[in-house]
Amino acid sequence: MKMYGFWILIFIFLSSPLLSQQLDMFGYFESQFMAARVKSEILQMQSNKMRLDFESIQNCLHFGANINAITYHGKTDWIIPDYLPDRVCKEIPASIRSYYVLTFENELELDNAYVRIAFHKWDLTLGKQQISLGSGYAWNPTDLFNQKDLFDPTYEQPGHNAVRVDIPLASRLNGMILYAPDDDWNNSAKLVSFKTGIGRFDYTIMAIEKGWTFHDYTAFYGFDFQKTVETRRMLGSSLVGELFGWGVWFECGYNRMQIRDHFYEITAGMNYTFDFQTYIMIEYYRNSMARSRMDNYTLNDWMRYLASEQKALNRDQLYVLIQHPVSDLTDLGLNVIAAGDKSLALLPTLRSTPFENVELLAYGNLYLGKESAVFHRNLGNGGLVRMRIYF
Amino acid sequence: MKTKILLFFVIFLASWLYGQSLSGPEIIEKVDNYLNPETCWAKSKMTIQTSSGKERTFVYESWSKNHDEKNLIRYLEPIRVKNQATLMHNYADDIWMYFPRTRRVRKLATHAKKQKMEGSDFSYEDMGAGDSFIKDYTCKRLEDQSLEDRQCYLVEMHRKSNADISYSRLKMYILKENFVPVRVEYYDEDHPDRLLKTLIQSDIRIFDGIPTAMKMIMINEIDNSETKMEFIEVKYNIEIDDALFTERGLKE
Repeated sequence: MKMYGFWILIFIFLSSPLLSQQLDMFGYFESQFMAARVKSEILQMQSNKMRLDFESIQNCLHFGANINAITYHGKTDWIIPDYLPDRVCKEIPASIRSYYVLTFENELELDNAYVRIAFHKWDLTLGKQQISLGSGYAWNPTDLFNQKDLFDPTYEQPGHNAVRVDIPLASRLNGMILYAPDDDWNNSAKLVSFKTGIGRFDYTIMAIEKGWTFHDYTAFYGFDFQKTVETRRMLGSSLVGELFGWGVWFECGYNRMQIRDHFYEITAGMNYTFDFQTYIMIEYYRNSMARSRMDNYTLNDWMRYLASEQKALNRDQLYVLIQHPVSDLTDLGLNVIAAGDKSLALLPTLRSTPFENVELLAYGNLYLGKESAVFHRNLGNGGLVRMRIYF
Repeated sequence: MKTKILLFFVIFLASWLYGQSLSGPEIIEKVDNYLNPETCWAKSKMTIQTSSGKERTFVYESWSKNHDEKNLIRYLEPIRVKNQATLMHNYADDIWMYFPRTRRVRKLATHAKKQKMEGSDFSYEDMGAGDSFIKDYTCKRLEDQSLEDRQCYLVEMHRKSNADISYSRLKMYILKENFVPVRVEYYDEDHPDRLLKTLIQSDIRIFDGIPTAMKMIMINEIDNSETKMEFIEVKYNIEIDDALFTERGLKE
């Protein structure tokens, strides 16, 4: 499947002289090294990623695409029970224990490939494209398409296959309709949203229906854990603006579920830049589907959280980011992510552009929590260094 | 012949008297009129020189309308920030940033104006100040000065008590011949005697009747760094569609 994307892209360019004549190619190479101390071992993994972007803009027609090729090296198979609390591991049936492995496999994929047509009054976008919803920094209750990496929330998300119509209704009023097809109509995503600006705030309201896939990680049939798809209907809203000089945002979603209990998610945050250039950001997140006590975390909770099927393990979480430019090209920061089970992760971070078109990111991660908590020590303290070179 | 000499003398005297009679606010109003024409499009190059001697170069296009009330900046180079864009309304009181790789548009609060633009010595506030000189400062004309043998008005500007800006006061040296500020000193918000930055403008050319400084250097007196900004191309009073200054325009 992944190779198909590459050949489709080649076909598009070879068969479209108009596009290929004005084709812009760019991208980046990214090399990443991570290490973690788990029990008495130091585990290491390295990845190399090449992203190749294609872009062609002619009058009202915009074509964009990118291919990602990623190779993984070092420890690419992670035995999940090694990092889970003992109490939770006891839930794993002995006969299927060997299936609890997280494997990083080399990838070659067509990440985004879309055509956008700008009509006089509206835009139509067809194909694999970026869908970014919500105003939150680390958590987006209204985004049913993506889940951010808490250690690097601004990292780019994968493209999603969709048909999207954007309709500017007034200078600060926009409508959006989106349909992301799946195997049948019920599981496909349908989205309607309106965004407007009043005073110093931007407001968005939206309604989404989407199939939500989750697994029962205690039951293994054939080649996979038992899978269930249920319809999720969400009414959501977000706002972002300014209050007493601070940037503020709020985002919420109420989810009506077909099988499981209905639940809500809320994110509220604020940020400020001081005159001495230090930036501070605080964001709170609540997910009523998640557990309020760490004693209640189950194997399914842990596995769904690690597999990005649900956004949180603990009901309440807090994200604090403090960042300061120590020179024109380098920022030092500290990220603190705390969960309601009194565990937290500390991430001292360095971001720099040591050369033109080169970005460097380095962070350490230190988990401070009891064995059963979200950020417990057994997850492995360590760090990551990533260098990205744009071309 | 005598009539011509007399006429020349009268004109000279009248302009000298006019120059003498201008108050601080009147001078700043003229500066503001030239700095913020009805519409403007420009392609510019920004070169940051860090305190350690490293250089970073950015090329961007910018559009402004309603005397800089609306402003859009879109980066062309380097490739790292290509198509990243910033939209400002209400003289940079409302700021939106667009990140092309995620197609995310984010509204920023006004405190973001204090942040350095791409690590340069210009803040967003410096770039989209619009009528800030008139709205946020009280102006007082000081004794005229000479800079490199050119006669300048010297105007001292103090922040109004209700203004949300990063500088306590500015000292602006303005060429008498064309009202171009050739030197602007920016002083600390909390320590009015502490010089933070100095802007030097040069290479003045006339476009569409508007005197334009083609080169600007912002010197950071604290960090010992500087940023040079040059107009590659500039056009004034051209037709710019309002639709450009919307979220749709930001993403284009």
